[in-house]
Formats: sequence, C-alpha cells, structure tokens
Amino acid sequence: MAGSKVLCVAEKPAIAKAVAQHLSGGRMRTLHVNGNRYVKNYVFDFNFGGTWGDCSVTMTSVMGHLTSVEFQREYMGWTSCPPAQLFEAPIHVYVDKERAAIAENILTQARNCNALFIWTDCDREGEHIGTEVRDKARESNQRIIVKRAMFNNTERAHILNAARSLGDLDERQANAVAARIELDLRIGAAFTRLLTLQLQPLHDSLQNHTISYGSCQFPTLGFVVDRYLRVKRFKSEKFWGIKVMHARDNMKVNFLWSRVHLFDRAAVIMMLERCLMAKKAKVTKVNQKPTSKWRPLPLTTVDLQMMGTRYLHMDSSAVMKTAEALYTKGFISYPRTETDQFDKGIDLKKLIEKQLEDQSWGEYARGLLDGNFKTPRAGRHNDRAHPPIHPVCWVSPSALSANEKKVYEFVVRRFLACCSDDAKGQSTEVEIQYGDEMFRARGLIVLERNYLDVYVYDKWESTQQLPNYRVGEQFEPTEANIFDGKTTPPNYLTEPELIGLMDANGIGTDATMAEHIEKIKMRSYIGVHSRGGGRNAVKELIPSRLGIALILGYDDVFAGLADKPSLSKPFLRKEMELEMRDVCAGTRMRQHVVQQNLDMYRELFIHTQRRMNMLKSAFRRYIVEEENV
Amino acid sequence: MANLKDQIATELLRTKSLPVSQPWLDNFLSSSSTAQRNTPLPALTRTALFRILTSDFRESLASRNATILPVDIADPNVQERRLPGCIPVQVLDIEDIGTSAWSQIEAIERVERGETVRGREIVRTVNIGGDEDQGGATGSGNRATAACTNAGMDADANESGGPHRLVLQDAKGTRVMGIEMKKITGFAIGRLSIGAKLLLRDSTVARGMVLLTPENVTLLGGKIEAMDQAWKTGRKERLLEKINGTGGGT
Repeated sequence: MAGSKVLCVAEKPAIAKAVAQHLSGGRMRTLHVNGNRYVKNYVFDFNFGGTWGDCSVTMTSVMGHLTSVEFQREYMGWTSCPPAQLFEAPIHVYVDKERAAIAENILTQARNCNALFIWTDCDREGEHIGTEVRDKARESNQRIIVKRAMFNNTERAHILNAARSLGDLDERQANAVAARIELDLRIGAAFTRLLTLQLQPLHDSLQNHTISYGSCQFPTLGFVVDRYLRVKRFKSEKFWGIKVMHARDNMKVNFLWSRVHLFDRAAVIMMLERCLMAKKAKVTKVNQKPTSKWRPLPLTTVDLQMMGTRYLHMDSSAVMKTAEALYTKGFISYPRTETDQFDKGIDLKKLIEKQLEDQSWGEYARGLLDGNFKTPRAGRHNDRAHPPIHPVCWVSPSALSANEKKVYEFVVRRFLACCSDDAKGQSTEVEIQYGDEMFRARGLIVLERNYLDVYVYDKWESTQQLPNYRVGEQFEPTEANIFDGKTTPPNYLTEPELIGLMDANGIGTDATMAEHIEKIKMRSYIGVHSRGGGRNAVKELIPSRLGIALILGYDDVFAGLADKPSLSKPFLRKEMELEMRDVCAGTRMRQHVVQQNLDMYRELFIHTQRRMNMLKSAFRRYIVEEENV
Repeated sequence: MANLKDQIATELLRTKSLPVSQPWLDNFLSSSSTAQRNTPLPALTRTALFRILTSDFRESLASRNATILPVDIADPNVQERRLPGCIPVQVLDIEDIGTSAWSQIEAIERVERGETVRGREIVRTVNIGGDEDQGGATGSGNRATAACTNAGMDADANESGGPHRLVLQDAKGTRVMGIEMKKITGFAIGRLSIGAKLLLRDSTVARGMVLLTPENVTLLGGKIEAMDQAWKTGRKERLLEKINGTGGGT
C-alpha cells in the first residue's frame, strides 16, 4: 500500500496540530479550511510502518460531535404536539449549520484518500465521534479503509507509537453514546416541555424561564436540596460528657471518654460520681505502635475534580477545562480516566526525571530518583483505556495561565507523592478504666514526612507527647469534670461533596459531572454562596426557590408509590448508566436498552401529568407565597 | 389438677425465676382445651411461659416482696444500693442516649421515604471533609469529629448504637429507669420490643437508676403487642417532643 493517501481526523484542532507536528517532524504545510477559522488541514508525509509504509497524509479535525440529533421539523415547535408524543416522534441525525464547513471538509478530503485514521480522544464520546466522521467520509468514498489510533497523551514517542499500531473503532461504545443521546433528547424534551408549559404561567418570575428536566440534572439538584433541607430543619440538642485530666511529668494529659458524650445529663452525672467513688484509675492498655499516613492513590478524574474544588479554589468545570487545555498542549495525560493504578509498562522514573528542572519540586524529584522512589499504590479501578492522570513533561510556570499553573502543579505534586513513601510516625494510646468508665489518650509523633513534603494538600502533624504509663498501674486523676455542648447542623453542600455524591450514586460519568453541575447553576436551580473569608472561604451550594419547589413538588408527585422512585432521586439514572455499560460490554443491545428506558420514563411522564396539580401547588407554596421550608 | 398447677408454677420459678400468679395460672389452665391438658408437663409449661412473656407482668406474676422493686427505688438521693436476688421486670420504653434525637428522626424519615431500604439501592452519603483515620488520629481532633457525627452524618447503621436508657416495671407496677452500662446483646431499638421481659440479678442501683450489664441482666424476650405497636407509632412524635421540650433550638 506504499504511497497511500491517508486522512487523519482528530477531535479538536489543537490535537490535530500536536499530532501533525510529531508525525511530520515539523515539515508540514498548513492549509486553510473554507468556512471555519479553527480547523486547519496539515499536509505531510509519514511512514506508518507495516503494510501502510510511506503515506501522504492530511491531518484535520472536527470540533467535538459532528452531528446532532433532533426531532423532525413538524415536532420542533413547543406546542406542535402533546409532549408525550416526543417519546416516539421520529428523529433524524443532521449536521447543524455551524459544523457544515467541517463536514464538507471531511467529505472533500475523503474522496481522494485510501484510508481514514481516526484520532479522536479514546473514550466513549470519542468513539462515537469517530463513527460520525467515518459515516461522513463514506458518503463520498464508500471503499475508504477505517482505522483508529489509540493514545492518551500527546507526548511525541507515545504519538509515534500510536500511529504505528492502529486498531479499530469500538462500535459498542459508540452505540452506548448513541443510546444515551437519544434517551436524553426524548426524555429531556418531553419533560421540559411539560414542565415549562404547565408551570411557567404560575408566576411572573418564571416568564421566559425554561424549566428544564434532565435525568442527571434532577438527581444532582436533589442532592443539593436534600442537604439544604437538612440544614434548615436541623434542631440542636444538648449533650454532656466526662473529661479526665492527669498531670504527670509537668504534662497535662487529657483523657477522652470512650462514650464521647451522651444525651442524658442525669446518667452522665451518675457515671461521673461512680468514677469519683472509685478514686483511682487503672491503666488497662498502653499501645505504642508505628503508624503511617498513606501516600495518595494515582489520580482519577473524580479525584481531580474533588481535590481541585477543595484546594485550588476553582469550580469543577473550570478544573476540567483547565486540565483539558493542559492535555491538549501536551503537558499532562488525558484527564478523563477512572483508572487509579499505573500499568507495569509505564516508565515512572522517566516521568519523574522530566520534573528535575522545576524550581519548587525539582529537588524533591531528584530525591526520588536517588533512592526514595516507591512503586505507587494500586487502586481498584481500571477503565482499560487511560492511565491515571500524570504529567507528561515539564513546563515552565511562566508559560501557563494562573489556573493552568494551579492544576498543573497539583497534577505534578500528586504524581510525585504517588511515587513516594508513606509518611511514618509513632502513635501511643493509653487506655484507663476509671470506675466503670473507659478513657483514652492518644499521642502521635511524625518521624518521616516523606510524601507530605511534596503533597502540600495533606496535613499530618505531631501532637502532644504522652508521659510513660505502665499497664496495671493505678493513679488518681488530677481532674474529672462534666463538660457540655450542643449538636451543630451539617454544612450546606459543597461542590467536592456533590461530586462525591454523584460518583457514589452513579450520576453522570466522571467526564460529565461538571457539566451537570454547571447546568443546574445556569438554570438558576442553585446558587453559590461563600462562607468564611479569604483563603479559607468555602463555596456552598444553595438551592433557589425554584429548585426547592421542583424537588419537593416532584417528591409529592411520587409520594406513596411503591417501586416508583422520585425523579429527584438517583436510582433511575444509576440504572440507565449501568445499562450503558452493558451496551459497551456487548451484553445488551442498544435498541433494547433505549426501548426499555423509554417505556419506563413514559410511564413516569404520564404519572407526572396526572398529578401535575401537586407540582403546581408546590410552586404556589414556595415561589408565589414564598413559604419557608 | 391442683397438682398440675403447682408443678407448672414450681417449674417456672425454678428454671426462669418467674413467680406466676395463682389466678393467672387458673385462668390459663381453664382456658386451655382438654386436649392441651393431656399434653405432657414440659410442653404445657412451655406454652405457659410463652403466654407469660407476651402478657403483662402485673397480671401474670405474683408480687412477692422478694421479687419486686423497693417502692422508693427511683429516689435520686440514694447514691448506691443493691437489689439482692432475682427480680423480673418488663420493658416499657427504650431510648438511645448515645445518639441525638434529631438524627434518629432523620433516620426514621429516611425509612419513611423508602431510601434506606429499596432492594439493593441506597442513597450513599459520603464524608469528604472527615479525614480517614489510618491509625494515627490526633487526640484533639477526636471530639470535634465525634460532635459532627452526632449531627447525623452517618446514623445509617441499622441498629441503634446505645447506650440505651430503659423504663422497667415490676409485677406490682413500680417503675424504674435502667441504664445500659455495658453493651448487652439484644438491646437495640427495634430489636427489644416493648413488653419484653428481663430478669435483674443482684443489680446495683445508683441515684435511682438500675445499672444494666450483661452479668446481671437475663433477657427472656417476649413483648406486649398492643403496647409495642403504640410505642412504634408514637416514637417520632416523642423524639420531636423531647427536642422541643429540652429547649435545644437552633
């Protein structure tokens, strides 16, 4: 096949450029694409090896999805049909106006090529985009051969290697995405039209406000509202406890009660009295043992988002956008991954070596290479597509924007921490029996900080040292008193917590969580408020009246129905997400999954229609009358 | 006939330390059918025991002085006293004093909404703020995290953690508070029914509270159905009253 003409298509212009530069070694021509300012065609020669040999290559890109799915024209108007019809109304795949030039470019280029190599990102969406590109190319060239490049960062050697070991598109993953797109369109449109048409007229503030429904949006909002209500409805209670202090060797040792505290004052007073009656306390246990604080696991997307929102003062969608920019520029590996274990084949030391020149952590990296290196812990997840997020090469901070600097630094520090030893310490625990009650004192000495030196986000510090106690020894405590306190309400939900909840309950994929949160902010279902000030400010998510009315209204709609969980709860979406995995694994058919989900949601839709008055009354209560929750 | 009655009474006193009341036993025997009266003694005794455990002790037990509580038992001025021998009592109330009433209410509401148990599905809560303890917890941090736990972050465990405070009643109707000083198997809300029967053996009473430990409590089991039902129905209401009554307030 020597002398073949090959068309390569990446998911984004920046990837196309990076890949083209590596393959061409810089010797390439850049051609303008009519009608699009971002997409370029790069023309060069490259030897793909094997049967392909020397080829003349045109490398181009799309910009995300090439096609959209929509209802046919007669169903497009909001009042064109009863919303329930959208569950079966015909839909069609089309290229929208903004992408027409990109599609045209692929059509033209494919006509003269023997082969099409897909360079979209290696994940579910990327697989689907790959099939969109293939279908478009086949419109002009039915016999074109289609292959797929497997890669997860844009480092040169990795890209060259990917170019010489091409595989095939994974039809199943593409099918799962197609199924999700159809379900989201039908379910989303049907419910959104129903809710908007019925609820908008209830109050002036809702004029021109789309009241959207999405099967991820609602459970996400549900988590926020749920916590808000817990805070609002919280009732504080008093509790009492016993504290014991013993002065020895000029140290005041505070012993904590094994019962922590109780909600019955009389009982606590009685217990204290029995301690005092016993006069002496007896040491029942002295435990001195080495202890360690474990180095973190290799970085996944969910972890990046949680840690990012917690330590970098950025919201999750900003963290993801920044990480993607860093990936596109070739500084870090693909930021969408569930894998928290490094493959044995990856040369970690080589990656550490690249960080040597850094001003802040270069010296630490040197230490790792000089003998402190430890093989990273392996987590339990592996998506078989991407390694954990790690730095691919070193970049000077001056070349990065403020946000990029923060995210890049976090990725590097996390990676170096993974390759370090655990922090080591010595813990001492003394347990005493005083009357019928047990008390404990604990001490910790940090002996070796190890990974903590580079991973500045973790804290582990020595506490007060404990004097010597012997098992069996008896002493009279210096003080024994009652203390009291009050229970405090939980805090409002923060973004890292929300991501944790979504992850634990199967809402969205690691790649889409940030988008769902962004969506409910955009719809004014929730707002972000700051608690505290300065660097320690915590951003809290507070639902709006609209958000509260929707969730509480929906809970009423589904109240008392066995086996019909409210749409504000994560159960249904979680099932759908699991079914998508089945489609990817090839154990279930796309059409079957779509049909079954449509049937189920249609039933819920009919039910919502029937009990619409409950939603309306929730809206009247919380929005019109501004009732408190 | 009289012989049979005595035999059952003796047997129950010997094996279970239960002094059955004569009228109750008469009634039990006369209400059982002839066929039952022909059943062997051990079987008949078992039936009697089962009935006693589901009965009200005030009706089914004789109130002899040695097997009832002193009338002034709840006197908080008495620092400590012993109750020698074996005293049968029934449970009138059980409360978890290790957990705030509010987090218990939240747990009840989760069950009402069908969230805790829906097949395999559970809304999972995550605790991000809390440091995972890897064997090196700091002493001072302990109380703070414990306080936050009591705000109800993870009151998800199916069984109440205790310690529990019980209201106990003897055959004569005298009531006394009992505090679970050490974990007793079977003492948990939902597991220990109202009307369940216990034996107190050589117990200690301090400031009017019986100290309950595995060594001096024998759990006989049983329940009084009507009381148990009423207790369950009213539990959330009582917890709410408790909060509002003690004047916590946010």
